[in-house]
Amino acid sequence: MSAAIAHPTFRQKLSAALAETWLRLLFSSRYPGQLALEIIIPIVFAAMPMLLGRASGGAHAAANFQANTGTANYVAYLLIGSNVFMIVTSAFWHIAYWLRFEQETGTLEAIYLTPTSSLTLASGVAIYSTIRSLTSTLIAYLVGCLIFGVNPFQGDVLLALAFIFTGLIPLYGLAFLFGALVLKVKESNALVNLMQWLVSFLMGIFFPVTVLPPLVRALALLFPPTWMVNGVRSALLGVGFFFGAWYRDMAVLWAALLFAPPVSIWVFHRVEHGIRRHEGMGEF
Amino acid sequence: MIRYSTDSLNKTKVIQWLSTLIAMSRKELTIMTRYPVEFIASFGQVFLIIAVFTLASLMFTREGVRGAGEASTFISGLVVYGFVLFLFLSDTLWTIGYNIRREQKQGTLEQLYLSPASKTASLISRVAVTLVWTGLLSLTSGWLMSAMIGRLPFENVPLGLFVLIMVLSGTFGLGFAFAALTLRVREAGQTLANLAQFTFMIVCAPFFPFQALPGWIQTVSRRIPLSYGVDLFRSTLMGYPAGFPELAPVNIELMIVTAFGLLMPALGLWLYRQEEDRARRNGSLSEY
Repeated sequence: MSAAIAHPTFRQKLSAALAETWLRLLFSSRYPGQLALEIIIPIVFAAMPMLLGRASGGAHAAANFQANTGTANYVAYLLIGSNVFMIVTSAFWHIAYWLRFEQETGTLEAIYLTPTSSLTLASGVAIYSTIRSLTSTLIAYLVGCLIFGVNPFQGDVLLALAFIFTGLIPLYGLAFLFGALVLKVKESNALVNLMQWLVSFLMGIFFPVTVLPPLVRALALLFPPTWMVNGVRSALLGVGFFFGAWYRDMAVLWAALLFAPPVSIWVFHRVEHGIRRHEGMGEF
Repeated sequence: MIRYSTDSLNKTKVIQWLSTLIAMSRKELTIMTRYPVEFIASFGQVFLIIAVFTLASLMFTREGVRGAGEASTFISGLVVYGFVLFLFLSDTLWTIGYNIRREQKQGTLEQLYLSPASKTASLISRVAVTLVWTGLLSLTSGWLMSAMIGRLPFENVPLGLFVLIMVLSGTFGLGFAFAALTLRVREAGQTLANLAQFTFMIVCAPFFPFQALPGWIQTVSRRIPLSYGVDLFRSTLMGYPAGFPELAPVNIELMIVTAFGLLMPALGLWLYRQEEDRARRNGSLSEY
């Protein structure tokens, strides 16, 4: 006598992913202080180079900034950098912490006893992360522009949003890759802390990547968030697309969109399979 | 005879307390060495933070990245010394303050109360990790930043060292007070630690001069002793350039910083003991 294990349908998978999203949103609503802080952080973060720059550049701060970056609007430039950085870093934090938290509390192993795959639930976490980070960064950008007295709606806002939404999919693909690393190394805090600064450096959070040495620049250009932040800055502030026109830069992001998710899912499954065969998911 | 016995008893108590402190500090340092990934990652992190802020500040200069390494000693002094104090404050909040929460989650905090070991020594022993770990990070960051931004000014070293000791002592006191707060607010301690860090980054101006701040924030800065610590520490090592220190004359700032360094640890420990006593009576020591 054998019982056939029914594989969940797409509808059932979607339902499980959305249930995970709802669960995470419910959890986060219990910590309103953290949500408020997510709005403050990018503003404070952008304010630091701004205040240092004003003090060191004096009356020529805006002119010097324009000569180095292509725009005199350093307030919007730095705020865009810090907010895109928050979206990117949230993707890494949320995926890595979800895995680590489930591992530490012993519930990750239990997932493998259900017909729902870990990737379905991780997709639910990714949806939650997108909702949370987009909401907070949008508010942070508007509040930041209001505080520093610049117009947040200059340039092509729709194109900027298109760059963000297109960039999100390869970004979460990378976050899954990072999740696989956390499963393997089992030290999420140190890795995420290092990763978020590496990300900020490579994507050119407060500077154009053209100032980086050639080898580092090439590495930065392989990283989808670099195209995302430059796309948003070019759409809103006209600093210039890497390939001269928006659709060429967008094509690069689309290529990453098609390439990154299947590769990351494959790697994630490989790592997961390896751990399940050897030490087990419950070990941390 | 009785007097001799009391002295002897006190001496034994002090020796015991010191022995406990040394043992606990050694335990904290041993734990630190068990996480090599974290140790190496924090050095990488410091390098990247420095690179990001250096490149950002160079965007406001006429030469841009071409001027890297030749920028004025003014900028390097301002940023490096502020960054060192930021590293210490940040590490104190997490290692001393929030670490109590970790012990609470692991269930080892309550167990400590079943042993005759000094609870105060347990809290102070965490300073050892901050001094070793953050001390090494500070030295590395100072060297890296001076290589990337420009020569580091290094004037009035003995006075600078005295100010640093007083600021660190006061900062550790803040860490003890924060540990007390963590016992009270539990999980919200994480958010408060982040908030405290970001408030320090703006109000105490570790990465830019106070004059860059709007007037109303400067008024808030003048109410916080740590602001005087940042101002006096960097002004002293920079050799008091024109307009520095910014918040008050040197002798006034020195008095504020000394008082902060001497009183804050005692106040922090007193607050911790009060909160610890409350938690024990409420039975919330292991609650989280």
